[in-house]
Amino acid sequence: MKARKRVVTSADVRAGAKAAKPARGADKPKRTPTVRTIRSAIVAVDRSARSGSGRPRVETGRTAVADRGTPLAARPTLAEREALDRIDLSVELAPQRGLRLPNPIMVASGTFGYGVEYGEVVDVQRLGAICCKGTTLRPRAGNPPPRVTETPGGMLNSIGLQNPGVDAVIEKYGPVWQGWKVPVIVNVAGESIEDYVEVVRRLDGVPGVAGIELNISCPNVGKGGLQFAIDRDAARAVTAAVRRATDLPLLVKLSPNVADVRPIARAIEEAGADAITAINTLSGLAVSADRTRAFLGNTYGGLSGPAIKPVALRIVYEVAQVVSIPIVGIGGVTSLADVLDFMACGAVAVQVGTAIFADPELPVRLGDELRAECLRRGLSSYAPLVGTALPKRAGAPSVKGAEYRP
Amino acid sequence: MTMRLVSAELVETRQILPGQWIQSFHAPELAAGSRAGQFVHVRTGDYSGLVLRRPFSINTADPATGIVTLHFRTVGRGTEWLTRAREGDRLDMLGPLGRPFEVDPRSRHLLLIAGGMGMAGIRMLADEAVQGGRQIVILFGAQRASHVYPSSLLPDEVEYVVATDDGSLGHHGFVTELVPGYEAWADQAFACGPHAMLKRLAALAAGRRDRLGVAKLGRKKGGGRQDPMGSTAARRKAFLQVSMEQTMGCAVGACLGCTVIGVDGPLRVCREGPVFAAEEIAWESIA
Repeated sequence: MKARKRVVTSADVRAGAKAAKPARGADKPKRTPTVRTIRSAIVAVDRSARSGSGRPRVETGRTAVADRGTPLAARPTLAEREALDRIDLSVELAPQRGLRLPNPIMVASGTFGYGVEYGEVVDVQRLGAICCKGTTLRPRAGNPPPRVTETPGGMLNSIGLQNPGVDAVIEKYGPVWQGWKVPVIVNVAGESIEDYVEVVRRLDGVPGVAGIELNISCPNVGKGGLQFAIDRDAARAVTAAVRRATDLPLLVKLSPNVADVRPIARAIEEAGADAITAINTLSGLAVSADRTRAFLGNTYGGLSGPAIKPVALRIVYEVAQVVSIPIVGIGGVTSLADVLDFMACGAVAVQVGTAIFADPELPVRLGDELRAECLRRGLSSYAPLVGTALPKRAGAPSVKGAEYRP
Repeated sequence: MTMRLVSAELVETRQILPGQWIQSFHAPELAAGSRAGQFVHVRTGDYSGLVLRRPFSINTADPATGIVTLHFRTVGRGTEWLTRAREGDRLDMLGPLGRPFEVDPRSRHLLLIAGGMGMAGIRMLADEAVQGGRQIVILFGAQRASHVYPSSLLPDEVEYVVATDDGSLGHHGFVTELVPGYEAWADQAFACGPHAMLKRLAALAAGRRDRLGVAKLGRKKGGGRQDPMGSTAARRKAFLQVSMEQTMGCAVGACLGCTVIGVDGPLRVCREGPVFAAEEIAWESIA
């Protein structure tokens, strides 16, 4: 018989991570205030104080997904398990309003539906948070098919914000989300500032809605969408308008389809966003097999997957140097190494998207692996892993000639 | 059976036609819980830079032996990777997914229509129908004789009629041209193949009642009550059911990538389909 399917265990993580990265936890270079603020988003709470109403930890029959099928000897011992449980992975994404995630591994909008679709194969309660499919004021039928295609190291999609509208989402999924311990963040899209405000107003106060992620960067809709993410003043206006309409924790998702993302990030922070998600997909195109037209029904699509990870890292790296609110990194996360890369560039949490399609259990497993990594490094939380790659002084911009001067 | 992640062991690979393969996997959970028309989402090797799984119709499933087979054509890197898998390799499959064909219990004569790789979509229905004691005709269309599915791989009880585009075997022309000869005989028809073929079949099916002069029978009382479109009951009463294909992302209904346009709006091939009653599809949207 051949070898069993390879399953990542904490032991593998240790060996792999040691080879890949020299330990750098010991010597902490001085950080700029910016970075310190980012780190402070991760709240280290004394375990004894937490025991009562602490971070939501859900024990189920599938606590050790990573252990499935591994030989007994490779599984963590009881002592190791206790040590793992002591590690605090919780993160506060909206320090002023309260959006505490049990762990920093979220699932990205558009890749996990409304959280129920994968319910039969994924223990959604063990995720850090769920960002649901982009929700608009009125129902949207989306773009003509075909809507997805694979590309080297990634995929293109042009769903076009198909969704049943905010009222139907609240009615159908609100009660489900209310029963969950995992925070559900509703991704909101619109064609005008009034649309955004109205959707958010209707979501305000709905039980089960833990926060809002403003999608001002969808590349797949004709009107609205992207226009708010490529213009600093438009981004500021929509963020400020939504901020006035709700006290819900507010994340704003940046587009990479701009020359310089930093002024936009600054504007969003100034307008009152609690956190920034970076990045949405990159605009792209695929050609039909007979080369007579574009493959996708919408012509253009958004590129996601490992192919865009360097772009996402660059943007997180740049944004982390100009804002002090927490950053959620997203773009091509498929492994713990990717998670650690994003954290090193200043992200306090990450979202997993495209990789879920191939490996639905990945987000839950990454949480387990991050915990094991902290144990290996002797950390009680992952805070020291955040921002380690950021420059001590403001780094050179990636775009020459577009330097932002406030 | 609800969907689950299954580790399926490859037990046999064989090339049945140039570029076409049938692979057998030992996956007892899938073999026991699947119905004709459903599909699996197969993960290819991570190291090859392929980020999406590949959906395949379940070609056959034998609960007694725990064997499921997949029939596919090599069209790209994913399927090429599959052909290089060896006996004993374990593949990660998500399934069974989608909704199956719904055969009316009163139907005795089933017409199965397949175009090219569409055979993989209806093959398992032939097995189920034979077990149910039904009579089956399979109409099969291919480009030329060398692409015709071998009759030796079909159950003996099946009547197998072939059409080729170039006339090198069987009827010279499209498989849809054979259908009128069987429409009076058939109680129900089930089809899988290129969308253009399905569109033509849907047009034929729509005019069938009038051509045959079939009276609208049924209970007088409560006769106005109709099953909602897309429901299992409505599909069971439909004359033509089609298995649709679309490029797919998640295959569980989360990403909304695999839609086709239905008369009431977009339909997810992975959740509402892949089998639809012909009336559910907005055929004018299909080229």
